[in-house]
Amino acid sequence: MATIKDRYAIVGVGESERSKNSGRTPLHLALDAARAALKDAGLEAREIDGFMSYSENDSCTSHQLATYLGARPKYVKDIMGGGSSTEMLIADAIGLIETGQVNTVLIYRAMNGRSGVRMGGGGWDVNMLQGAMDGGSFFIPYGAGGPGQWFGLFATRHMQQTGLTHEHLGHVCVSFYEHAQRNPKAFFYGKPLSMEEYLKTPSLSYPFNKHDFCLESDEANAIIVTSAEKAKDCKSRPVYIMGIEARRTVSHAHYWTNLDEVASDFVAPSLYKKAGVTPQDIQVASIYDCFSWVVLRQLEAYGFAARGEVGDFVASGNLKMGGKLPTNTAGGMLSEGYTHGMNNVLEIVRQIRHEYKGTDRQVENCEIGICTGWSGPDIAGAMILRN
Amino acid sequence: MSYQKPIPLKTQDNQPYWDAADRHELVLQKCETCNSYNHPPGPACSKCGSTELSWESQGSAITGTIYSYVVSYRPFLPGFQDDLPTIIVVVQLDNLKEVKIIGNVLACPPEEVKIGMPVKMTWQDITEDRALPQWIQA
Repeated sequence: MATIKDRYAIVGVGESERSKNSGRTPLHLALDAARAALKDAGLEAREIDGFMSYSENDSCTSHQLATYLGARPKYVKDIMGGGSSTEMLIADAIGLIETGQVNTVLIYRAMNGRSGVRMGGGGWDVNMLQGAMDGGSFFIPYGAGGPGQWFGLFATRHMQQTGLTHEHLGHVCVSFYEHAQRNPKAFFYGKPLSMEEYLKTPSLSYPFNKHDFCLESDEANAIIVTSAEKAKDCKSRPVYIMGIEARRTVSHAHYWTNLDEVASDFVAPSLYKKAGVTPQDIQVASIYDCFSWVVLRQLEAYGFAARGEVGDFVASGNLKMGGKLPTNTAGGMLSEGYTHGMNNVLEIVRQIRHEYKGTDRQVENCEIGICTGWSGPDIAGAMILRN
Repeated sequence: MSYQKPIPLKTQDNQPYWDAADRHELVLQKCETCNSYNHPPGPACSKCGSTELSWESQGSAITGTIYSYVVSYRPFLPGFQDDLPTIIVVVQLDNLKEVKIIGNVLACPPEEVKIGMPVKMTWQDITEDRALPQWIQA
């Protein structure tokens, strides 16, 4: 089996405007993001021969996007998915390029996540929910209808077992909100969060208050993946993929019962092996943050702090600029915006390119970064990138 | 007043569980191949994939302890707005520790709920012919 290490690169990233009410269709947003990514890479749409996206039935199709870019790709693919899907589609793109089926793939996520279909629930038909989710009849009748509750059930147990406190969750939020204050495009730019304010915010779904929840936003993001060889012809500074690993399934996404076994635990060892690095080599991170707690569980899974020590790790300021692992440096999904994981990919690419050089947003001398996706205990994807 | 909350949908895979609940009894799906219990039930064993499945009655005196919980202060689904906060729990059965069941703890102040708290199953009659397994403090 061929190793893919350093043979593929992300050569373009771009985004649409971010808002709470775009007044435009996901297709329009996707077109903006795709054009921005093409411009960033210095590529023409006709050079893209693969288009891929993921959605929860809330987006446009790859076929539509390609059509209105005037491209005629060989390959289009739309999957149902959420967190971790970006990494899974990048892995698919590498496989297609490796086997000579396509040369360059554009992957996007477009959604009216606030004004259209909201992940946070409300307005869903309850019988549809019971049928659509595996084992849905065993939690929907009890009012467990939203991610805040599903992730909360997981978090409460893990916190009790490992000594994590509400304040530890707060350190994740406060760190990411601090980053958002340097990012004029972040939703919570100009809205810093102090620990005092965090701690006095009432619970929405204990152990979470509103700050522990990710944002809902109308937005599209796009990234372009190609071979290292073709990357040389691109305008941008390529970010090489050292290793990528995705999905290990454990049973029942919404009916979580084994808290010691999340998909990230299975992804991490093979990811590091493929990339040939250890957690100590990682200088910057994008950690999937649909909820603050999810960051803590992943820091544990990916070996940044031992089980039971993750709280101290974040309380020491290690997620902030100047810490051991500056994380979600644009603010993350908690305070920048939310495209089901993809905005965090854009940010780590920009960090590793040193695109913010000379500003207080740049993580000094970062050469290697990790980007993780997670949408529950059953699915995880992650990649390690280098300059 | 009629019941406003979602009523469990009976399907090909779960009907014996909900039929038993209507009789105020707990039945669990068991895999005859690997001897594990399958909850929530499905079309095959979620541990080994076997389709050799049976249903085993656990009777009506069910006890367990709280494995995890959330206290929900907002109704994320219709029908819950009148009895907030809602305590949603995962209960680990005392007799079958591998089985964990999601439900609500009824009539419990939120500040009292904690992991390890003993609970017992009760059945809430929600319509003329349907009942919902629930939990109360033991």
